[in-house]
Amino acid sequence: MRAYLSAAFIVALTLALSAPVVRAQGVADRAKVLRAAADALGMGRWSDIGGANTRLPGIDIINTMELQGSGTSDMGGRQVKTDFHIALGYNPVAARVEFTRTPDGGAAQHTIQTVRDTYAWNESEIGAGLDQGKGVATPAMTAVRERLLRIWMLPYGVVKAAYAAGDKTVVATEAGATTITAPLSGQLAGITLKATLDASSLITKVEARADNTALANLNLEAEYSGYADHAEVLTDVKTPGRLVLKQGGRTVADITVKTWETNNPYLVFPVPANVKAAPATTSR
Amino acid sequence: MAVSRQVIATAAALCFATAAVFTQNPAPRAGPRTINAPPKPTGATPRTADGHPDLTGVWNGLGDNLNGVPNQIANNGIAIESETVARDLHSGQIVTVFPRLNNRPQNNEQAERAAALLRRSGSNRPIYKPEYWDMVKYNDHNANEEDPSNNCMPAGIPRGAIPSYIAQFPNHVMFVYPGQGGLIATQTMYRMIPTDGRKHTPLQELDGTYTGESIAHWEGDTLVVDSWGFNANTWFDQIGGYMHSENMHVIERFRREGNTLTWTATVEDPDYLLEPWTTTPRVALLNPRPDAMLPESQPCSERDLAHIVTKEHH
Repeated sequence: MRAYLSAAFIVALTLALSAPVVRAQGVADRAKVLRAAADALGMGRWSDIGGANTRLPGIDIINTMELQGSGTSDMGGRQVKTDFHIALGYNPVAARVEFTRTPDGGAAQHTIQTVRDTYAWNESEIGAGLDQGKGVATPAMTAVRERLLRIWMLPYGVVKAAYAAGDKTVVATEAGATTITAPLSGQLAGITLKATLDASSLITKVEARADNTALANLNLEAEYSGYADHAEVLTDVKTPGRLVLKQGGRTVADITVKTWETNNPYLVFPVPANVKAAPATTSR
Repeated sequence: MAVSRQVIATAAALCFATAAVFTQNPAPRAGPRTINAPPKPTGATPRTADGHPDLTGVWNGLGDNLNGVPNQIANNGIAIESETVARDLHSGQIVTVFPRLNNRPQNNEQAERAAALLRRSGSNRPIYKPEYWDMVKYNDHNANEEDPSNNCMPAGIPRGAIPSYIAQFPNHVMFVYPGQGGLIATQTMYRMIPTDGRKHTPLQELDGTYTGESIAHWEGDTLVVDSWGFNANTWFDQIGGYMHSENMHVIERFRREGNTLTWTATVEDPDYLLEPWTTTPRVALLNPRPDAMLPESQPCSERDLAHIVTKEHH
């Protein structure tokens, strides 16, 4: 009997240690964890102007960002050398992803993919279709969700989404690491983000999961590492030095950052008239 | 960097000194201000004999911000409405508020970086033609070298925003904008603007100037100031690197309600902009003292720029 109990205890202990332990935390912990994640990224700032006459709280200062980097991207199942230039913003939520792929022995291919709010389009040149006769903007409405999702999957997007989701955001400890789980809304309703934090409260991994199996293509994973201030104009905003985006376990993009400007540079994303007039499509 | 900090500290002290001189009677408050949302009007709106709101007075803002400019962050688009709620005034988007966890003042480097970020985080940006996007970004990143108002040149319109003093007469208004003697020194400006119904001089007959040719009329209780005939030697604002052409056309709206004056400007520039751009409203408070005066503005002598190691305005 004693041997049986010992064996049962060992089995139970083994199972307990091997299975991921998820321990949900309370409201106070949620506030503390979110604040720590925001502070680790350098998202909250306040003004001391006014001296003793003012004591303004801090606000989230992350809006526009511009990233330049190089690495690889998936092209028909092959990893191809790629240069990236990404402009993005959170107010409005928008991005312009410009990438140049150079396959071995092939000609360079230049692509510009843009999204803003409920519109997605491809540009033949930066700002195409805005000024008459300058470039072509091709609507790509089916790509709205995926392009928006990639903005929210950045560490800043996760923290913003977690604050916006309020009580629906869950903070937990999983296999010894802190996680933040938050549902997205609007165009991305039905998709949940789960971020894993390291000991410094920096986000190292983000998983996007769709409730609806029809949106399985939006089940993405991103890994972030090498955080530092990678900007020319230093701001104390911490940005990853490497980003790896995966879809269904396959690496979609692997980017090593050269510069990541975080000083809210002048980046705008006006929607061309022909894109506004394009029929809305059920986006992926 | 040590030199930069010294320069910034000196400049900040000068700016605050300016603000202090201008604040002859700051609004009474219990404790430090914890919000920066535009102030609500109080009191009656005085009117002139012809029935229009009387804009005459010393408009000092709240007197506790850089150069007396009210609501510095709100000016750049984010209003902190309470200790838990902030909002982008242009898009309406809610902005997360982070309570301060301690009373430690920021060091110069932290304050400088925070100010630079705060002043650029709003969503209200003019939409330039795509071929100028990189130029605007360059201007903003290098404003300590490229800003044409550096070295005691006029700030121009609409950058001048709310004048510190307005005198209203039956046939004209007089605006006075004292120069800034601190960091990014600019020259004193004044504008004498007719309200007698005259029309603009044809644009091609005007030599471009810093404040352009302005005429004004009343639309209900709003004074509308219409200006063109500018030179291209100014930017729309201190932040942003927003250059313009000589074909810029600016329409400013001034509305007095009680002790507040709300100002907006709409900028049209077919050479540079894809569409007209309207500033986020700014609100100034009237100096309530009947004997309020404008002191002599500080002599404009640029001494800081040569020592600054950072590139952008903050």
